[in-house]
Amino acid sequence: MFAYEKRLQFPVKIKNTNPDIARLIMSQYGGPDGELSASMRYLSQRYTMPIKKVGGLLTDIGAEELNHMEIICAMVYQLTRNLSEADVKKAGFDAYYIDHTKGIWPQAAAGIPFTSLEFQSKGDAITDLFENLAAEQKARTVYDNLLRVIDDPDVIAPLKFLRAREIVHFQRFGEALEMTKETLDCKNFYCCNPEFDKIKNSPLDKF
Amino acid sequence: MNSQHLAMASVPKQEWCEPYDPLTALMEGTIFPCLNLTFQKAPIGKSNCKTSSSMSDMAQKNREEMMSTLGSISFALNDLTLYLDTHPDCPKGLALYYELLEKRLNLLSEFAGKFYPLTQISMITGEYDKNQYGWSEGPMPWEGACI
Repeated sequence: MFAYEKRLQFPVKIKNTNPDIARLIMSQYGGPDGELSASMRYLSQRYTMPIKKVGGLLTDIGAEELNHMEIICAMVYQLTRNLSEADVKKAGFDAYYIDHTKGIWPQAAAGIPFTSLEFQSKGDAITDLFENLAAEQKARTVYDNLLRVIDDPDVIAPLKFLRAREIVHFQRFGEALEMTKETLDCKNFYCCNPEFDKIKNSPLDKF
Repeated sequence: MNSQHLAMASVPKQEWCEPYDPLTALMEGTIFPCLNLTFQKAPIGKSNCKTSSSMSDMAQKNREEMMSTLGSISFALNDLTLYLDTHPDCPKGLALYYELLEKRLNLLSEFAGKFYPLTQISMITGEYDKNQYGWSEGPMPWEGACI
């Protein structure tokens, strides 16, 4: 189960209203490589992971992604909470405002709603770990792109923090891949699906 | 481990590297200097939670300082937990883990006693007034006060 702790993993304290930046950052809430997608990906995959330690890692990273989702939402909220009627008309925020006013809703920067089609839970340990390695890299690229176009230091600090997390998570998923490989036949990693096929005397039994 | 095979990728296992202090770790996004691979095009983002000297409210100042310590200790634990998930037998990692866990528990209790509870458990472990509900006290985290 999850229990709430009343603080953010990284502090968010943004002084200046900026709906343009809000719309860009929102992509890391509801976009294709966003934090919501990341969390749902790992928390969905963990149930059928054959190695208990990898299921544990997916739980811990999946939970951390919820913290990141909250950081992104806090940023969008603070960037738009003092929005004036003039802001709504002139900034590129008008289309969002029509449907959601200042409410926080998961969508990509280009307005595409959040969808579970953005992530996979394939039921194959090797496939899912590669999905996760790729996901961390895609999210890092989005943070690189955001950092290149944003110049408000209040916004940059949390974005740099979130970018650094993607690299750490990539390393941990790499280590999880190594742990998984150890349990498979290195002459042919693809001779079976460790999440589906029951193998006699499988090294997985000891985990 | 880490031997190379055709049609398979591999990532080397991280060796222990001397961690940053918790406050630096939070600002950098990891406790491990060897994993801190920065983006050169990123502008400098100042820590947005430095206590202002002009702040007149001492209680607010104390709260912010304590929250900042708690945030960095807790983050160091988050990062160390992921390390231990894949390195459960590392003695240095384990020693730091238990040290940080104890610090975090004490800070959560102290924060609840002095200000308001951040977790429901700290309403019991901290010296908290049992005649009030308490869970709804304090600003919500997204409001932006460093609290």
